Amino acid sequence: MFMKHSQITPVRLSAILEAAEAAARAIPPAFPLDATVAVNPFLGQTGEDLATAAARLGRVAGIRVTRKGADYAAAIRDGRINEDDLADALAASIAPLRPADTTHLRRAAEQLGDGPAPAALPTVADLAAQATGIDWPALIDKCIGLWAAGQFDRGQALWSPAPGSEAFAAWRAWAMHDLTPEIAGLKGFCAHVAAAPDTPERAILFAAEALGITDAAAETAFHRLFMSMGGWSQHARWLLWQAELAGDTDRTMVDLLAIRLIWEEALLAHAPEVAERWAATVAAHAEPVAPGADEVALAILQDAADRGHQRRLVAALDGEAPSGDRPFLQAAFCIDVRSEVFRRALESIDDSIATIGFAGFFGLPLAHHAHGSDIREARLPVLLNPAVETTSAGDPARDQQARITARSARAWGRFRQAAVSSFAFVEAMGPVYAAKLVKSALGFAPKAKPEPAPEVIGGMSAEAKADTGAAVLKAMSLTMAHGEIVLLLGHGGNVTNNPHESAYHCGACGGYTGEVSARLLAILLNDPETRAGLAARGVEVPADTLFVAGLHDTTTDRVTIYEDGLPGPRAGDLARVREWLAQAAKVARAERAVRLPGARWNTIHQRASNWAEIRPEWGLAGCAAFIAAPRAATAGRDLGGRAFLHSYDWRADEGFGTLELIITAPVVVASWISLQYFGSSVAPEMFGGGNKLIHNVVGGIGVIEGNGGRLRAGLPWQAVHDGAVLAHEPLRLSVMIEAPREEILGVLERHPGVRDLFDNGWLHLFVLKDGKVDARYRPGLEWTDTAPQTLAA
Amino acid sequence: MSLAFALSFLAPLALMPAALFAALRPGQRPGSLPRWSEASAFAAFALALGGLVQTALGPVAGVGLLEGAAQIGLRADLVSTAVASLVGFIGWIVMRYSRTYLDGEAREGAFHGLMLVTLAAVLVFAQAATLPTLIIATFAVGLTLRKLLLFYPDRPEAQRAATKFARVWYAGDVMLACAAGLLFSKFGTLDLGALPAAAAASGLGFAGTLGVAAIVAAAALKTAAFPLHGWLTEVMEAPTPVSALLHAGIINSGGVLLITAAPLVQSSTGAMAALVMIGGFTALFGAAVMLTQSAIKTALAWSTISQMGFMLLQCGLGLWTLALLHIVAHSLYKAHAFLSSGNAVTEVAGIRRPGPVAVPSVPAVLKSFALALAIFAVIAAAFTAAFGPKSPQALALGAILIFGVAYLVAQGLADRAPVALTKRTAASALAAAVGYFSFQTIAQAIWGPILPAAPMPTELEWALLVVAVASFGLVAFAQALFPLWAHHPATAGLRVHLANGLYLNALLDRAIGGFRITGSR
Repeated sequence: MFMKHSQITPVRLSAILEAAEAAARAIPPAFPLDATVAVNPFLGQTGEDLATAAARLGRVAGIRVTRKGADYAAAIRDGRINEDDLADALAASIAPLRPADTTHLRRAAEQLGDGPAPAALPTVADLAAQATGIDWPALIDKCIGLWAAGQFDRGQALWSPAPGSEAFAAWRAWAMHDLTPEIAGLKGFCAHVAAAPDTPERAILFAAEALGITDAAAETAFHRLFMSMGGWSQHARWLLWQAELAGDTDRTMVDLLAIRLIWEEALLAHAPEVAERWAATVAAHAEPVAPGADEVALAILQDAADRGHQRRLVAALDGEAPSGDRPFLQAAFCIDVRSEVFRRALESIDDSIATIGFAGFFGLPLAHHAHGSDIREARLPVLLNPAVETTSAGDPARDQQARITARSARAWGRFRQAAVSSFAFVEAMGPVYAAKLVKSALGFAPKAKPEPAPEVIGGMSAEAKADTGAAVLKAMSLTMAHGEIVLLLGHGGNVTNNPHESAYHCGACGGYTGEVSARLLAILLNDPETRAGLAARGVEVPADTLFVAGLHDTTTDRVTIYEDGLPGPRAGDLARVREWLAQAAKVARAERAVRLPGARWNTIHQRASNWAEIRPEWGLAGCAAFIAAPRAATAGRDLGGRAFLHSYDWRADEGFGTLELIITAPVVVASWISLQYFGSSVAPEMFGGGNKLIHNVVGGIGVIEGNGGRLRAGLPWQAVHDGAVLAHEPLRLSVMIEAPREEILGVLERHPGVRDLFDNGWLHLFVLKDGKVDARYRPGLEWTDTAPQTLAA
Repeated sequence: MSLAFALSFLAPLALMPAALFAALRPGQRPGSLPRWSEASAFAAFALALGGLVQTALGPVAGVGLLEGAAQIGLRADLVSTAVASLVGFIGWIVMRYSRTYLDGEAREGAFHGLMLVTLAAVLVFAQAATLPTLIIATFAVGLTLRKLLLFYPDRPEAQRAATKFARVWYAGDVMLACAAGLLFSKFGTLDLGALPAAAAASGLGFAGTLGVAAIVAAAALKTAAFPLHGWLTEVMEAPTPVSALLHAGIINSGGVLLITAAPLVQSSTGAMAALVMIGGFTALFGAAVMLTQSAIKTALAWSTISQMGFMLLQCGLGLWTLALLHIVAHSLYKAHAFLSSGNAVTEVAGIRRPGPVAVPSVPAVLKSFALALAIFAVIAAAFTAAFGPKSPQALALGAILIFGVAYLVAQGLADRAPVALTKRTAASALAAAVGYFSFQTIAQAIWGPILPAAPMPTELEWALLVVAVASFGLVAFAQALFPLWAHHPATAGLRVHLANGLYLNALLDRAIGGFRITGSR
């Protein structure tokens, strides 16, 4: 051993550690479920196209990243994909292995049918399982899962490991004591762990040597091991993400890789008969990742499916609708696709209503402390760092009271959970649960009272208030012609007993509801100090304009209005607004009920309080387009709740700073959402959260399925599938922006990471002109004029 | 009312039409079936409740068929109808839950059917008048529950869990069959009402003692007692309502078996001592393992193991009414805990909101134990004055429970706990103490007259009592001081072994091939 390791050269060392780093960065982060946001599961693959990513992920995870051939064949048969779509998609492909013509492409779809699923290259554990008959991969899942559940636990278990220990050191201490592998037949595993190096880097290196992993094979071999740990790798990647956002770094990814490699090393020693097959596997890993003909055909078919949707969308956008005079009510919604339904409904109620779309955090980078809470909630897109500290503490005495209540509830919870006292708890409280069961079964839930109005900790100067107010209004393209009432609406889901609750909340608010941001902004914009300074900053707000905050409940379409110090004389106006909102809610509910299985317009509210409901609402399922344009371009069109709508008027955008912001922030966030739905739909076994019926919440951070050890990140199957068919049609987002072509290209040039998304086909880009689609983006910073299309085509 | 039989006898039958309906529509979105299955579960609950009312008003005759070793029948007394009502209630809640929860599943209709049949079998079990009836019912529960555990048949974890469950469960059935054989050979009857009288008349004898031992073994297997508890920690492979029904209804069958056979079991001192030892150890073992579990359903499963152990301990002490109360209380709590386990994310987030937990020091913990014992003395004295003296066993059990309450007091006595918190936890502690003494008094009033009273402790039992109180007290004390030692490096190994359930499940896996590749891999 000693002789061999002394021969490890610095070049070898850096090659292996670089491969480890690359493999770690190929894993998407998974945000814990208390405040989860959608993440692009292909975040590490945006530098390559879909076909190549398919080849890579097929190799390292055995998953498909497109739909099955049969699904495309069905879409071709029923016309969702037509001959033009196929021809255009084929023409856009530059892959050497692409089918010769659309006939071959159609045939490929039929022939691929339901199979074959790609097979991942085996791990040593897989090979050893075949050789010895013991299910080593399952055992590893279980052993690593049990350890990781404790290591990353945030308060589920009363007895968790010592806090603050690094993962690798903690695991070594654990694995040296854990007898399970030895009982399963892996003799000497504890000693093997004890003898392993005590730093993860050296452990990786030693294991790579023992396993004969060559420099060229290392990246996908390591990627394979990360993928085999499922959500745990993604959780570790999240730790890294958070650390890097704060300018720091985190070593948990390296730790996990070392842990998994030590297992591989031990299994190779346990089952030496697999050495030959393992060497062949290493050789396969060393081959460059290149898509085969099947992957290329499927990627082209996916492109054709995207184009089929674009064809219908382009036809719907047939020029700007005339906009009226100064509206009475201007309602600003989050760009979230669920708002589209409600905005359309609200505008249909009265001519004096206009709506606008903007990211639901309204540009306020808040770190918020809720009433009676020490937790710092980052209520902003996860790409950004918070800059403003806010609190809803309100009256200090009440805040203290809330803390005491929470602490005695916590003490009671520990009483319920702890050894010995749990018996006393059951004897004393058990019978009371009969009443609780009835209440929960019938859906009686106490209505949560709104928290006190949020405020900035330490207050703001008049200068800062006016600066912030003006910046937000400019970003919203809301510099003139304000309505008498400007409604600022955050949004949040309304679900019961659902571990994925935060996935239904506002992604732009970091997986919380948009309540705090909306209320804070309304208070700020009504503040006389703010208003006094706006004109000097180029924003004209009429004196009679009143800003009102609200929260749109996306499950029931009810809107809560927050009367944070609103003037009494405007009560009549507010009553009128409330009436409109109630009418719009009815229209929106009727539209949503059609998609929800077993729902009727008048029973939707029951879904919110039903503790057994696994499909309370569809969330963002179906999302397929992002349109940044004046509302006139989309007003009156039924976009089916499938489009992110961002209000943007390029004529008012001096220097195109807002355009740059839109392309680099909301577009990227929308791409994460659309690709998360895509990934959870096409590769549910790896990028989906699993089956809700057997979810087992672990550590307060995520779910596992049943008794399995692997953390499951992504959306649950029931969030994208209605039982019979996919509720989310997996499409890549079509981004449409009304702005000068060259300005858009300029932004892409300055942001190569964003450009990658378009150049490699993870997003489609179109430019609009006067509300019509004018040109399609082609990889390489080019535009193709789109021929005028009609519905008749 | 002069019905010739108890309404609760009809409860299992009320489920059959919907179960037949399910057999015809086993697939996805089976029309009105989910509504029918909830409605029939509610009807079964109502009928069971009707039986409870009937038995509360006066004695009700049982029904029976056949004679001798094949004698089957149902009985109606306050125990059987109370348990049937409990099962009926849980059944209704669970079927109502399933109505929404299973929507869109490929085998939605089959699920309802299997659940209803399982529920019917448990209802029969709860009211069985003879051993053969018990055996038939529990065997049927095993059959359908195994199918439910394989609701996702392709999951290797589900296959392993179902296999393990089936082996342990059927081993329990075999034990029951042995018991039936032995008891019949000795006493010539398998009527649960007649057996105790026969045993009292002639003594248990060797065959009778073995028969009782077999009953105790069956109960231990079916309540997932140490060391064959492993099956219960893996059965969250089936949809949540199955877990709720299992942990709140089916798992009680061991306890119901013992309580039904109470007079018989109590006539064997050895059986009682065995129950105290198995139950007491399982209770502490399960509770300790639960502390280390980070997955909510797994932690709840360990909690059930421990609570069922505690129930066996109560049986072993001859506190039959308290054991029955524990069954009822635990079922209601555990059904709610499983069905609402999706809230765990919110709950864990809520734990961290009000800031760090105040850690009590050693003096504070000692003070809390003294305070709790004082509360116990006062309340026990008050209840004794009002409702008559308590047996040594009941007092010992009270002491054990009060150690638990001390933990609540201790949290409020931590140096850094604000006064308002101290007051609140003290009030909660008092409420908890009054709560369980009240429930116990009520239970005693309802079931005391028909269940045997705790025997005068023998020397062996005194010794067991002292050991039990001491060990529960020690664990409670350690628990209260937990934050002071749990993260010490010296205990790291202990935590690993406990988190793995002392490897008993792994050893069982090894013995039955649970580590091997399953068919679908």
